Amino acid sequence: MPKQSRLLIVILVVVLSAVFWIYKSPPRLGLDLRGGAQLTLQAQTNPKQGIDKITPRIMETAKFVVEQRINGLGVSEASIQISGDDQLIVQLPGVSDPAQAERVLGNTAQLEFRKQKIGTESQLRAERQVLLDKQLKQQQLELAGNAEEIAKNKEDIQKSQNAIAELYATTGLTGDLLKDAVAQPLDAGQTNWQVALTFNDKGGELFAKITGELGGTGRSLGIFLDNELFSSPSVGPEFQGRGITGGTAVITGNFTLQQATDLSLQLRAGALPVPVKIVENRTVGATLGADSVQSSIIAGVSGLILVLVFMIVYYRLLGVVADIALIVYAIITFALFSLLGVTLTLPGIAGFILSIGIAVDANVLIFERTREELLAGKTLYKSVEAGFNRAWTSILDSNVTTLISCGALFWLGSGLVKGFAVTLGVGVIVSMFTAITCSHALLLAFISYPSLRQPSLYGVKTIGKVNNSSPTIDNSTGTIL
Amino acid sequence: MKLNVIKYGQIYLTASALAILVGLVAMVISWQTLGFPLRPAIDFTGGTRLSVELLCESGNAPSKTCGEPIDIGFVRAAIAEKGYGKATIQSLGQDGRGLSLQTGDLEVEERSQLQANLENILSKFGKIDVTKSQIQRVGPTIGNQLLTSGLLALILSFVGIAVYLGFRFQIDYAFFAIVALMHDVFITAGVFAILGLTMDVEVDSLFIVAMLTVIGFSVNDTVIIYDRIRENMKIWGEKSSFDDIVNLSVNQTLARSINTTLTTMLSLVAIFLFGGSTLKFFALALIIGFSAGAYSSIFNATILLASWRKRKTLTQQAI
Repeated sequence: MPKQSRLLIVILVVVLSAVFWIYKSPPRLGLDLRGGAQLTLQAQTNPKQGIDKITPRIMETAKFVVEQRINGLGVSEASIQISGDDQLIVQLPGVSDPAQAERVLGNTAQLEFRKQKIGTESQLRAERQVLLDKQLKQQQLELAGNAEEIAKNKEDIQKSQNAIAELYATTGLTGDLLKDAVAQPLDAGQTNWQVALTFNDKGGELFAKITGELGGTGRSLGIFLDNELFSSPSVGPEFQGRGITGGTAVITGNFTLQQATDLSLQLRAGALPVPVKIVENRTVGATLGADSVQSSIIAGVSGLILVLVFMIVYYRLLGVVADIALIVYAIITFALFSLLGVTLTLPGIAGFILSIGIAVDANVLIFERTREELLAGKTLYKSVEAGFNRAWTSILDSNVTTLISCGALFWLGSGLVKGFAVTLGVGVIVSMFTAITCSHALLLAFISYPSLRQPSLYGVKTIGKVNNSSPTIDNSTGTIL
Repeated sequence: MKLNVIKYGQIYLTASALAILVGLVAMVISWQTLGFPLRPAIDFTGGTRLSVELLCESGNAPSKTCGEPIDIGFVRAAIAEKGYGKATIQSLGQDGRGLSLQTGDLEVEERSQLQANLENILSKFGKIDVTKSQIQRVGPTIGNQLLTSGLLALILSFVGIAVYLGFRFQIDYAFFAIVALMHDVFITAGVFAILGLTMDVEVDSLFIVAMLTVIGFSVNDTVIIYDRIRENMKIWGEKSSFDDIVNLSVNQTLARSINTTLTTMLSLVAIFLFGGSTLKFFALALIIGFSAGAYSSIFNATILLASWRKRKTLTQQAI
């Protein structure tokens, strides 16, 4: 069996297994294609608590907490990755508005139970009235929907809340001493909800001590979430001294089911080691993603057909060889995407379609060289061999420069850009391989059939019969004869 | 067809210089009106962008009801009344049943409120289809990060290519290849500066990707011609002038240069026409960049190299 036939069989086997592989496990689609939300969270340093630098350990903890909170949302197949030194990338497939996730993730939810300071009873009443007024005003403003006034009033509310926080003293009973938090209906109609808390042993003891101090004094227990007073229950005189034992308590605050669930989730998931900020949000609706997939398939297929037709029209038989090599190229590259675990995004698909252009280029280079050799009167076999050999340095040099650009993109680019760099890079490497193996073996196999040796099939008038061993120079074209 | 790039060198270079000049003028105008040489998207400036489309209520194609086309003027007025005066609103889709709204960076609560407002205003025309909506929010820090890393990638690949070419060819080859690349980058940026001024086309991170791809591709063309020059130098170096060798090499590779650009263009035109709105201007940037790249490889890179070599020989002879 001739060498090129063996090579062709190997290529056939590779292609068939590639097709099988694509069928069995198609490449994963990115969220821009299947719909979903991608949030980028950035960890912020917290000099107040002595955290001046974000360490990998902090990121691990933050990732764990974020995972917990996301799991609580019930999004299937959510993924969380650490990116760079201080960012987390959260992917939520199928979520078309991630507002709930953003609320739950963006909050540090520092829970603390505080004691009201002695002699502040009337002051607290007054401050709470001020706050209540402003909150009512806020509701009216939101109905009117004037963004500027709303922002101003929000600031006032913040000030008022800070003033209230001043009236309470810290106790050290914080969210990390909490074992569990669940949302519970407050009434039979289930319109009002509360959050029931269970403390661990240490938390239970502290809670008993605090409530014991406050019991019967008329001073309230302040439940603070992120420095905002959520609830300020008073402790009955029966608990004076001994306090509320058993390690359980409830937070009430006229919560809706949604609010109570969010709150319990934040509490349950524990506190983040550092505050995180959502710095990027890219959300694509599922139908929109499907539309993108469809339009890129149309673009890819029509691009490919145009190229295939052009090659046959211009290069005749050589074009057929190039087209087969091109299809082999497309199949192998696509199989590699799923084999390498490349996630296909929209720019990634563009990179792939573009790499078809590069794959063609290698063939064009070879064929132009082959044609030149034929015009110079060499035999078909010699021309093909010379075409491949001479084109090789050009192919290598030009592809290495493209790979340099891909490398720069991959190294420095963000998620979307990386996808493009990967598909283009993989495409360039595979195209070098298919051009020198597939096109070469096919062409050699073709020219072994006498019926495929007619000059017109190669776009020349005649084909040399013997190898001209003494080179002469044709000054009109400059090629060696 | 036979080109004499050396003989008409001045004309080809002048054409390039004029094209770059027009682009630079557009960038200066853009700089004065927008504060940036090109109109930046929220990718770089930071901000929030919502895209929505109206829902088509059930049923098959003929019987489905898709709501009325949205009156953008009405929406603009209504949104401004709610205090979002700085928001820019544009119609989306061919049947005008979608729109995009762009504002400064919004936190989740503010955005939810804006969404509620928008839904309220659009209820006059129809219901919003959530599965066709899109939310993009880029914080200002991320915007900066995207811009710096993008520009850094550009510089890095310039340097990488220069080093590789200097190593594989000679230092003057590498230098003029880079000059040709600069040309392509400036032409593409110039066209987008004009588009930004006339059609409000914005450049996002995909534009930087496009630039990098243009660099990678355009240097391909240059390398292949240089490769041929190098090869011909080995054969003809002693008998022919460098000008003749350059002319010869350009013509030998011309069919390849044109065919490769053409096949790549076929793919790109397909993306431009059918690839959807996200990739439309990405494909356009590549089409412009690759055309400029093919031109600069065939003409500028070779003409400049030849005239440099000529000057060098003359100086050497003078000494």
